[in-house]
Amino acid sequence: MTLTILDYGIIALYLFFVLGIGWTLRSKVASADQFLISDRSTPLWVTSLAFVAANLGAQEFIGMCASGAKYGIMTAHFYWAGAIPAMIFVGVFMMPFYYGSKARSVPEYLKLRFDEKTRGLNAVSFAVMTLFSSGVSMYALGLLFQLMLGWSFTASVILSATIVLVYTFLGGLKSAIFTEVLQFFLTVLGFAPLAFYAVQRVGGWEGIKKNVAPQMTHLWAYTGSPEQNGMGVEWFGLAAGLGFVLSFGYWCTDFLVVQRAMAAGSMNDARRTPVLAAIPKMLLPFVVILPGLAAVALMNSGSGYTLPMKGAGYDYDQALTTLMVQFYPNGMLGVGLTALMASFMGGMAGNVTAFNTVFTYDIYQSYIRKGAPDAHYLMVAKMTTVVGIALSIATAFLAQQYNNIMDLLQLVFGFVNAPLFATFLLGMFWRRTTGHGAFSGLLSGTLAAWFTHSLTLAEGKGGMFGVLHSFPSTMAQNFWIAIFAWSTCFLVTIGVSLATKAKADRELEGLVWGLTKMPSAEGAPWYARPGSLAVMVGSGCVLLNLIFW
Amino acid sequence: MTDFRAIMGVFFGLLGLLLVGAGALAPEMRAPLAQTNVNLWSGVMMLGFGGVLLWFSRQRA
Repeated sequence: MTLTILDYGIIALYLFFVLGIGWTLRSKVASADQFLISDRSTPLWVTSLAFVAANLGAQEFIGMCASGAKYGIMTAHFYWAGAIPAMIFVGVFMMPFYYGSKARSVPEYLKLRFDEKTRGLNAVSFAVMTLFSSGVSMYALGLLFQLMLGWSFTASVILSATIVLVYTFLGGLKSAIFTEVLQFFLTVLGFAPLAFYAVQRVGGWEGIKKNVAPQMTHLWAYTGSPEQNGMGVEWFGLAAGLGFVLSFGYWCTDFLVVQRAMAAGSMNDARRTPVLAAIPKMLLPFVVILPGLAAVALMNSGSGYTLPMKGAGYDYDQALTTLMVQFYPNGMLGVGLTALMASFMGGMAGNVTAFNTVFTYDIYQSYIRKGAPDAHYLMVAKMTTVVGIALSIATAFLAQQYNNIMDLLQLVFGFVNAPLFATFLLGMFWRRTTGHGAFSGLLSGTLAAWFTHSLTLAEGKGGMFGVLHSFPSTMAQNFWIAIFAWSTCFLVTIGVSLATKAKADRELEGLVWGLTKMPSAEGAPWYARPGSLAVMVGSGCVLLNLIFW
Repeated sequence: MTDFRAIMGVFFGLLGLLLVGAGALAPEMRAPLAQTNVNLWSGVMMLGFGGVLLWFSRQRA
């Protein structure tokens, strides 16, 4: 594809605004808290949109569109069975403890609720993971721009990293959050027309149904057994593995997203943040998955469009970009590319702002230097931002050299994350849970994940110790690894907790269900009550599941 | 600080103007499968969105 001055102008306009946001916010960050957690003063609509956008990286756009082309509307399970219920849960039930405990980060909550070692484990693994994700985000950007536009990999990586560095260094979390909101609107307005035109061209939903396999236009109808659908997963693996363990594990415990809600100005706002965020999240499949589905329908309908090949199959990852070339002239093409670039950079900035908070508060202030004046921590936070971005760049180049290391790391992080939600669930809702219980539960859950992977085989992956079971797809394998890891963590945490001494009730006030005064929004209008909003959003989600059953 | 909605409103307004301009000046510029003037209509949408944001920011001020 070739760009014109118009497209470059649009890219430049976006970069100018993003840097401008950082510049106007620079005077607002005079303390470590303002820089790292934005002083809990961000308006509700901003935190809600940032909550969705922080997770909406370019990998998500490209990956969900690819998945839409490969599996069809079944991909929407990641939203309508996965993210939405988890977002409602974290807002209504978990936010009172996160926000109410006055913890500044998720690891810090673990320290208050359990003990130092549980916090340490979570803080270190989270810090490494964010650096890795931010590096991978940069790597993917460099690769995409090299492939599509022939830009130099090094130049794309350095340019985007510098821009992220400037605006996060100047404006801290607030700057990252505001940029995420701008990025959210830009990506939606940039890609919604693509979905619209592609679906219109193929003859609407009826046209899609006529031109793709029936499995691709249903969510649950073909999930009686794994052989019936392209994903190779049955309804239980979907509901328990993806819907419950993985989605709740991510949306309810990942500090990157939870941090956005914790930046809200009041408890009620913090609770409503994920619930309101669920509304745009629920509609995103129509923007990110539908184009992929339409791409396949277009190909099968003989429109002249085909997906590029990769080996013996189609290169689904190119569905989004090749579709853009088919429908967008120069101008909108620049908008689409800017949107991709913005979401890559947003992914980076989100990770970096979560990394600097966890490093400064949970690693530096806890283990390296306690009790220093605030100016010192602000300096450390700013330095960490620079170092974090430098390490991300290093990771991006490492990924370019050794692809296998990245796959391995991703696998290991999967093992570490899978059991997390069991720990939080027990920690928040059962006061008898102890630090020793949580810690040993997490370790054994991670081990269980590793064993499950090593004893099963899917598409040639796993089976290090032998093969007890074969899965039809790696997706099914991942869902079941998560189920085993979660269950092991859950049982071990209960067992060890019963054998060890629990904290006294007064130490757990504000941290556990039953010992925390739950915030009440009674008398407030329905839109100001997290509970009634949750019912409304939840019904919408159920309705979507029924419509596309 | 200037209202954030105003900043975004100006951004989408400018983006919309660029696109509407391109769509109006070069209506023959079409991508292979497009059946309409994509730049023009997308530009109108962005202009509208930018306008709504600016209107919101004035309401509060």
